[in-house]
Amino acid sequence: MIGFADRLAEITKKIKGASIIDEDFVKEVVRDVQRALLEADVDVKLVLELSKRIEKRALEEEPPAGVPKRDYLLRIVYEELVELLGGEKTEGLDIDLSRDVNVIMLVGLYGMGKTTTAAKLARYLQRKGYRVGLVGADPYRPAAGEQLRQLAEEVDVPVHVEDVDDAVEMAVKGVEALKDECDVVIVDTAGRDRLSEDLIDELREMAERIEPHEVLLVLDATVGQKAGDHAEAFHEAVQLTGVVITKLDTAAKGGGALSAVARTGAPIKFVGTGERVDDLEEFNPRSFVARLLGI
Amino acid sequence: TITEADIEDILDELELELISNDVAVEVAESIREELKKELVGRRVKGKSEIPKVVEEGFREALLSVLEPKKEVDLMETVEKARQDGRPAIIMFVGVNGSGKTTTIAKVAKLLKDHGYSVVIAAADTFRAAAIEQLEEHAERLGVTLIKGERGDDPTAVAFNAVQHAEAKGKDVVLVDTAGRAYTDVNLMEELKKMKRVLEPDLVVFVGDALAGNDAIEQAKTFHEYVGIDCAILTKVDADAKGGAVLSISKVTGAPILYLGVGQDYDDLKAFSPEWFVERVIGGEES
Ligand SMILES: Nc1nc2c(ncn2[C@@H]2O[C@H](COP(=O)(O)OP(=O)(O)OP(=O)(O)O)[C@@H](O)[C@H]2O)c(=O)[nH]1
Ligand SMILES: Nc1nc2c(ncn2[C@@H]2O[C@H](COP(=O)(O)OP(=O)(O)OP(=O)(O)O)[C@@H](O)[C@H]2O)c(=O)[nH]1
Ligand SMILES: [K+]
Ligand SMILES: [Mg+2]
Ligand SMILES: [Mg+2]
Repeated sequence: MIGFADRLAEITKKIKGASIIDEDFVKEVVRDVQRALLEADVDVKLVLELSKRIEKRALEEEPPAGVPKRDYLLRIVYEELVELLGGEKTEGLDIDLSRDVNVIMLVGLYGMGKTTTAAKLARYLQRKGYRVGLVGADPYRPAAGEQLRQLAEEVDVPVHVEDVDDAVEMAVKGVEALKDECDVVIVDTAGRDRLSEDLIDELREMAERIEPHEVLLVLDATVGQKAGDHAEAFHEAVQLTGVVITKLDTAAKGGGALSAVARTGAPIKFVGTGERVDDLEEFNPRSFVARLLGI
Repeated sequence: TITEADIEDILDELELELISNDVAVEVAESIREELKKELVGRRVKGKSEIPKVVEEGFREALLSVLEPKKEVDLMETVEKARQDGRPAIIMFVGVNGSGKTTTIAKVAKLLKDHGYSVVIAAADTFRAAAIEQLEEHAERLGVTLIKGERGDDPTAVAFNAVQHAEAKGKDVVLVDTAGRAYTDVNLMEELKKMKRVLEPDLVVFVGDALAGNDAIEQAKTFHEYVGIDCAILTKVDADAKGGAVLSISKVTGAPILYLGVGQDYDDLKAFSPEWFVERVIGGEES
């Protein structure tokens, strides 16, 4: 199978190789971009919208003086993709040391990497000099608390997993317990989906109680067409401030995250690139798209 | 007769419909091409009949992808081994977080309900609290867990479990393996080694119904390294499209045995190709 990056590299080659850019050629390139995005799991509707925009711009806009037409077409494809990702700049985390404590909440579907990402973020923030703590708020998954405890030990940060079966209480007590010794506490929540109404309500209540400054949706790179719908449900319940795409060390393309961003406006802030606590990187839209385009 | 021009648009639509259901692009395209070959030149009484003929052909095309290249039945496999006087060995493999451990707990419950004695091997010795997670399941279900320490050789743990089952006359060993990125050659080789040592009766690929195009790469690579006998698709309850069943079937020929439809032990449902096809064609929301 030809992967997304290969496809776009092919497209790039096609564009670079073209001597004249007429309507047929633009349409052909747009079709290629379409296919590449679909292979990357970008929402079908979004792909159709995006390709229409690219086609329209390519046919209507005059390239600035000195820019060859084919380079300009390439730039349009690139720009539209970056635009989809929310622009060129990556937003950092909202952390303010004048606050009593900074609260980061991680939410998302089942098995996406929330607990692992909590530990990765703890390490990342610790390296920046913050005093970080981890709070377990998943009373459902067997050994979820133990998983967080072992990871906390690995990154050497305090952890609190209140021994009750109520997720909201776990979060509230955990933040309370750690807020004096920490600048930032990261709350790990259980997996849930948009149809699990009780769990979505639970999350809403949790957020009302602990008032997080950051709510990050953790989404793995394999999630396909439903990413946008789920993201929207999380956003409605708890106001997402960012997205973390995990498992980018596989060949999965992460197009689901594009849909999540498009639907919620929450920018991608980090990417997970492995199972270890060091495998976290700040999101870089430029290099992400450049990688996809093969340029 | 039906001409290409008659059905181009409708085929385009069906292809997009498949992709919207998380069927990998490559698979959706190949189904479209098959269908086209099947339909062009076919005789119809009038043009008005075409949509019905296309829908029928589409249904057939999907069912034929889901037609297993070999029959696999979990209970029969276990029963056959029992009659041979040895435990059946079943290995569960898949990418990180797809639902292997939870599925093993569900399958253990199912087997137990059928009167079989079950041993679970905690051969994910890598992930934090993977062992404790299984311990809790095993305790709740009342089945034996054989485990080692975090960091132990996973094959050795699995092998111990098999020896334990043999010594105690247990019916089946369910081997939990660590989730792994299929792009990590060392980890895939480790799995291959485990298979060589254990000679399992079945290798079960556990896939995530939320996954889109990646399902094909996952299934292909796991099939290449360890050979997949059958698959279970999890998280179908999570408003998932589940087109991965077509992608997995297409590249491995392995039947989908069960669907995971929740986080409780009984949330395991037998898979039926007809059910899936109706879901896609009926356009039913999850
Ligand atoms: N390859 C890879 N694996 C990852 C990454 N992040 C997490 N994982 C793995 O994904 C699996 C699931 O991770 P968890 O952190 O348990 O996921 P979760 O979202 O907390 O899961 P639930 O709490 O059950 O919803 C584990 O095997 C992790 O090691 C990543 O960036 N790359
Ligand atoms: N809703 C739902 N959740 C499921 C289903 N199957 C598994 N899960 C959840 O998915 C998450 C990950 O499941 P695990 O069984 O730990 O996955 P795994 O493949 O063993 O993960 P690793 O060992 O880390 O690779 C857990 O939160 C499970 O409860 C299912 O059928 N439906
Ligand atoms: K503080
Ligand atoms: Mg977790
Ligand atoms: Mg597991």
